[in-house]
Amino acid sequence: MAIETETRTGPPERSHTRVSPARAAWIGVGVVGLASLFLIRAITSKTGPWSLPNQLQDLLTLSISVIVESLPFVILGVLLSILVQVWLPDSWVMRALPRNPVLRRAAISFLGMFLPVCECGNVPLARGLLVKGFTVSESMTFLLAAPILNPITIITTHQAFGFDDGILVARLVGGFAIANILGWLFSRHPDQDSLLTSRFAAECRMPDRHEHGTSRLGSSIDLFTREAAVIMPALFIGSLLAGLVQVAVPRSVLIGLGSNPLWSVLVMMLLAFVISVCSNVDAFFILPFASTFLPGSIAAFLVFGPIIDIKMLSLMRTTFTTKTLVQLTVVVALLSALVGLVVNYVA
Amino acid sequence: MSPRHRTRRDWRRWNGIALTAATIVATVWLATTNQLLLYIHPRYIVFTVIMAAFGLVFLVASFVPRSRHGHDHDHETQDEASASSGLRRWITASATIVTAAIALALVIVPPATLTSATADQREINSTNVLDTPQSADAVAPAGASERFTVRDWASLLRQTSDPVFYSGKPADVVGFVTPDPDDPENVFYVSRFIITCCAVDAQPIGVPVYLPDWTSSFHKDDWVQVTGGFETNPSAASAQPIALVPTSTKTVQQPDEPYLY
Repeated sequence: MAIETETRTGPPERSHTRVSPARAAWIGVGVVGLASLFLIRAITSKTGPWSLPNQLQDLLTLSISVIVESLPFVILGVLLSILVQVWLPDSWVMRALPRNPVLRRAAISFLGMFLPVCECGNVPLARGLLVKGFTVSESMTFLLAAPILNPITIITTHQAFGFDDGILVARLVGGFAIANILGWLFSRHPDQDSLLTSRFAAECRMPDRHEHGTSRLGSSIDLFTREAAVIMPALFIGSLLAGLVQVAVPRSVLIGLGSNPLWSVLVMMLLAFVISVCSNVDAFFILPFASTFLPGSIAAFLVFGPIIDIKMLSLMRTTFTTKTLVQLTVVVALLSALVGLVVNYVA
Repeated sequence: MSPRHRTRRDWRRWNGIALTAATIVATVWLATTNQLLLYIHPRYIVFTVIMAAFGLVFLVASFVPRSRHGHDHDHETQDEASASSGLRRWITASATIVTAAIALALVIVPPATLTSATADQREINSTNVLDTPQSADAVAPAGASERFTVRDWASLLRQTSDPVFYSGKPADVVGFVTPDPDDPENVFYVSRFIITCCAVDAQPIGVPVYLPDWTSSFHKDDWVQVTGGFETNPSAASAQPIALVPTSTKTVQQPDEPYLY
């Protein structure tokens, strides 16, 4: 294609340019722009409280709370994605992994032990791994396993529950099994690229970035803005929906169903879907429910929530097609319910 | 690449930068004014601020226009080709408006705590968060009871409704007013939210206060300080066996840390 040729023949010295006056000017614009945003924020805060209707105010507070809570994890995920895509040598991760597909996916499920981000940060990271050469089913295995099989989640879950009732073990084993089963299922798909949104699939087919004479720093900044452009709108929409459901559905409706072995599992999965908290902290969230709800339902909450919830579906839609997400949701829900029922009836 | 396509791509990029800027500016400002804990548990503040700082650096750098090299070769994909269909265009437009509205709210709406609407919706004292061991216990030394928080009292009230237990244990609590649904004229809760992670998981707790005709002096959501002692609840309509019967009730400023942990 014409543009690419032009790129390759472009003057190479451009890539070595340091801070030119034009760039410094733009950075100045950036600093002034952000400073004025701070100023606006400081001034408008003096105008309050606005006495909005309570429901609207709480909708806003809840949605902003989800955004603020997710933001650091999203940034961490994007930074790790930049690290993997731009700074790590191409074959570094790839070569270390086993070649046998099943073992390879099993190994990939444990990548979260070294890249400890929770689920919202994992979306940009999984996108980065896809671009870097993971197959769709492999990066999906990572996306599903990493929020559960990572040190922070394991520590917080252990702090909350210890080894009581097999909840921690069910969470880890269940998360690993579900991620690998889903990875295997989607690896059977004849056309892996068709699982991805066409926009993202096109991005994956793009040749490696920093071969084109852009500096690594430039590529990093570029990647940051592109991931931000994709993830932030999805995060905003997901948070607003999560907030809306919280304001609209009375909590008592959910809690009334807590002690039935089957219903409690389904209700907890519904709660996990609605509440959309990060896997790093969801154990603390669910701890107070542990005495009313059966252990299996808690395990189902802790397995299902990190993989599927309102916010996550909105984020994953940036990468996977709606059809893929529906299949994913149905299978993960069935398997999580199975984990819950096994714990309820066996443990 | 077509100019139209380039415009659209540039627009998407600046949209992303704007949304990120709004979120990071709001977060950093909340942190500097110590209001981040209106939204998240204090244990995440340091992590949040560090990551926001990284974000700020990248944001400033992203104002530099992209070099003509690198990836000018975004493709006109099927997604975008079909984006011209009516429904898709409509969805994209409304999503843009909604996200812009949230970004605007992040920057201009003054931060606030959750209100009694959420306390009602989630039902005060409906969770078992109160069953976890608390500092307040039956053998606390004399006078210690005045330092008990709403959470301590709510937890005790859940354990025992024996009026003898509460005699000689004066209370002094701060919280916001939520009417008791069973007897809204005479009983209200001095209530607080307990946060384990962020405001999303806030669980309302409260201590019932028996104060006939309280609505003439206070409103729903007012922050009040109530002192008094616990007695058998004089209200026949209320479901609460024990209530705080105040010797003094006054409006106070919302505390710096409105949530309990």
